Parts: sequence; structure tokens; C-alpha cells
Amino acid sequence: MTSSASASASISAAEKRGIPAALFVEDVQTFLNSTASDATSALTALQERLQHYKLAEMKLLAQQRDLQAKIPDIKKCLEIVEALQTKEHTGEATTVDFELAEGIYTQARIEATNSVCLWLGANVMLEYPFDEAIDLLKKNLENANSSLGAIVEDLQFLRDQVTITQVTIARVYNWDVHQRRKQRQPGTDV
Amino acid sequence: MQQGGGVDTEVTWEDQQNINKFGRLNNRFHELEDEIKAKKEMTENLEDASNELILADEEIVRFQLGEVFSHMPKDDVENRLELLKEETTKELEKLEEEKESVLSQMAALKRILYGKFNDSINLEED
Repeated sequence: MTSSASASASISAAEKRGIPAALFVEDVQTFLNSTASDATSALTALQERLQHYKLAEMKLLAQQRDLQAKIPDIKKCLEIVEALQTKEHTGEATTVDFELAEGIYTQARIEATNSVCLWLGANVMLEYPFDEAIDLLKKNLENANSSLGAIVEDLQFLRDQVTITQVTIARVYNWDVHQRRKQRQPGTDV
Repeated sequence: MQQGGGVDTEVTWEDQQNINKFGRLNNRFHELEDEIKAKKEMTENLEDASNELILADEEIVRFQLGEVFSHMPKDDVENRLELLKEETTKELEKLEEEKESVLSQMAALKRILYGKFNDSINLEED
């Protein structure tokens, strides 16, 4: 049962954004020989790896959830600013009902204007003319979308590594079971 | 025959990649199901809103824009609702198409993987 030439293990991909790639094992026997470890310690190391991956996955999922909540907010802001902008041309005032406090709404009259104030975070709010405001919001939306894309990619990569590690664990375990069975019957030919 | 199992079929890099791909497709499938459910709910809400609008006899309707409810003439609101309904239907179609494609890719991969690994692999939902 000699393994076929080449490497005993091949790296699936270089380390990606701090996530180590999982080692793909071509042949269990050669893998264990090359790392000079027995099945049990290999299994423990692999399980540990799996835990690290799970932790990283949870972090990424949390980041993804945050972004997925932010994006609809930015879209809503964009909608309102564009609605106000159309009113600017007609010169009418906009009447809105807004929430004064939880469950309490009141009417407000927004006169036709040519600027809005945008909350930039860190207790800072700036006034922008409509066009600039729309540009800023669109840029924020783009950034949020591309960050989301990057996180989704990382998650996919991570899940692949998890799958590879799980498959490797299963194979090392099976190989171990197979070995023990062979040892129990020294005379049997495979 | 000697005592069953225990012999592991070799897992090649290609097999591993197929397994990974199946995993990714499965995840995407579940995400798609959730998104489709949300879009269907949205469509229903828009339908209800349209119906309510027809029954309403006020000229000014409060239409939600962001966090506030803007006073709008009934016709404008109708137009906006129509636009939203169209958009949502189109997005729903796209999602359903993607779901079909994902399902067929998964079926193809299942055939390949079961073909090679038979009982040693489980690709079903638990």
C-alpha cells in the first residue's frame, strides 16, 4: 500500500487574511510518517485546528451580520435624500410624520431646501448640498457592498478549510481503525 | 471477504474540491431559500398595501420613506408601489433561477461523489 510518488500533502491555498490553509492529505500513511506522529496526536492537532476555524467563522459571521444591517440603512437614507431633492425643484414643502419618541409620532413640515445634514459618526454631523450628499451616500453604499463581498469570500474559503479538515479527521480515524484491525490479525492478507 | 469496511477509498485533490464545492453550494442554497422567503413576504405586503390603497378614500397617504412617513398624493403612492412590486418580482425571479441552478449542480456532484464513495459519504440533510 505504498503511496503514489509526489508530495505527501499539498497546501490547498496560501494563508488568506490570517486564516491558515488546511493541509490536504494525499495519503494518510505518508502524512503520518512525515509528521512522525501517531493517529491520536494527529487527530488532536486536527481537532484543534477545527476549533480555530470555528472561532474565525463566528467572527466573520458577526461582521457579515453588521454589514447586512448597515446596507439597507444607507439605501433608506439615499431614498429620502433623493425624494427631498425632487421637491427642491418644485419648491413645495414636504409634510412628514416622524417618531418623536417610542410610539409617539408627530407632523413636521420640511421646507424646500438645497442641503441636508449627514451624520458622519463620532458625534459629527455635516451639512451637504443634495448632490454631494447623494455622492457620499452612494460611495458609502459601494464600500459597504465590497466589504460584504470580501467577507463572503473569506467565509467561503474558511468553510472549505473546515470541510478539508473534517475529511482529513475522518480519514485519519478510519486509517487508524483499519490499522488496529490489521494488527489484531497479523496473518491476514489484505 | 474479510471483515467489511475499514478500507478507505483514496480521496484525491479533485474529490476534495468536489466535496468543498458541494458544501459551498449547500450553504448558498440555504441562503437563497431565506432570501426567497423574505422576497415573497415583501411581495405579499406590497399586494396588501395596494389593496388597502384602493379601499382608502383619502387623497393624502402616508408613505414610508426611510424612518419617516411622508405625506403623498394617492397617485404617487400607487406609482411607487407598482415600481416596488415590479422590482421585487424581478429579484424574486432571479433568486428562483439561481436556486434551480444550485440544485442541479448539487445533484450532479452527488452523482459523482456517491459514485466514487458510495456509503462512505453522506450528502443528505440531517
